[in-house]
Amino acid sequence: MILYPAIDIRGGKAVRLLQGDYERETSYDADPVDAAKRWAEEGAEFLHVVDLDGAKAGEPQNLESVRRIAAAVDCPIQVGGGLRDPGSVGSVLDAGAERVVIGTAALRDPEFLAGMLEQYSYRVVVSVDARGGRVSLSGWTEATGRDVAETVADLSERGVERFLCTEIDVDGTMEGPAIGELSRIAAATEARVIASGGVGDLADLEALAEIDAPNIEGAIVGRALYERRFSVAEGIVALGG
Amino acid sequence: MSTRICILDYGMGNLRSVEKALEHVGATATIANDPETIRAAEGMILPGVGAFPRAMEGIRSLGLDQLIEERRAAGVPILGICLGLQLLFDSSTELGGAEGLGLLPGEVTELDAPGLKIPHIGWSPVRWERQSRLTDGIDSETPFYLVHSFAPQAEPGELLGTAAYGSRFACAAERDNVFGVQFHPEKSSAAGLRLLSNFAGICASVPA
Repeated sequence: MILYPAIDIRGGKAVRLLQGDYERETSYDADPVDAAKRWAEEGAEFLHVVDLDGAKAGEPQNLESVRRIAAAVDCPIQVGGGLRDPGSVGSVLDAGAERVVIGTAALRDPEFLAGMLEQYSYRVVVSVDARGGRVSLSGWTEATGRDVAETVADLSERGVERFLCTEIDVDGTMEGPAIGELSRIAAATEARVIASGGVGDLADLEALAEIDAPNIEGAIVGRALYERRFSVAEGIVALGG
Repeated sequence: MSTRICILDYGMGNLRSVEKALEHVGATATIANDPETIRAAEGMILPGVGAFPRAMEGIRSLGLDQLIEERRAAGVPILGICLGLQLLFDSSTELGGAEGLGLLPGEVTELDAPGLKIPHIGWSPVRWERQSRLTDGIDSETPFYLVHSFAPQAEPGELLGTAAYGSRFACAAERDNVFGVQFHPEKSSAAGLRLLSNFAGICASVPA
């Protein structure tokens, strides 16, 4: 499985939020490029970059940081946060992203999603964020009543090849991923699923690797890396290489 | 009809990502270890993650060593990936040592990287040491993704690519239709897909 170190950018800095709450932020690297270089040097296969300001504003706000990260590391990056129109998606790809992560707009705007899938196919990742099995939108501020597994199944039929599934309540807590929910989601689709939220130690990664679902492709790790609970290389080994 | 490539399954390694990558470049990929499927394939991929001796045990217990030799002698191309590359060589010193498939001459030894962390994990620029159908269209010094502690002592005649970690090590080799890469083309973005596409092209070019 792939370990995706997360680099969330807010106000030009690398930060972590607790449960998606902009009021509960911990700031780590003053320059996100430093974080990118550190994770790449430790052996990261892929980096996960989130433009938190962009997620809030509804369009990219940290393109320059994305450009500098892409130029600084050999490691490919996927970028999300506020990608709600073709121009924004194009600007992030132009900045050097290998993949784009589309969230809210993929669920709200089927035509936009269809267009992006047609144009960029496997370079599109759809992020589905949930609280208690129900989908949340708009930087996690808006709850819907939709079941997350049903949503993923529906989007798979529309051609999405890779999902990023975040359990909001455990995100940033380092208290362990939502294993049961991830199993349920993975079983609902043949597309690849990247698990996000809650990883605190190597045992959490081992637990993710043990889920009996071949399509769980990897895990996002944020705070646990910044807090130096383990290195990227140790995490990759725990995920089975 | 698209090229049929068999991913040899001996119980070790992430076969699904290789399968997906092959499908992406238009090949028909099958994961199998039975003689019928392997004999029907136009190309073979030998994947692998883990320890050399245990991998060879798995290969021998399934009779894959003989099938691989039979198909190789018939001209069917084979591509070893990661541990699969190492298995193509004569032997390895890993965990007390073991014999390999002997399709490429030389021994597999631990990386010579004093003061650096083992395993070597990450993206490294790979330098092509000669031209090859396998690397056609991929620039020398293109980064590929590696996770390994050992590397083969390839002979100059078979050496195709090298990378640096402490010292330079062999990370790609070829002889006739036997190819191996230490890096993971299935994890290495566009360049990796190009390499797999080149391999599928090599397989398609062999007369049945």
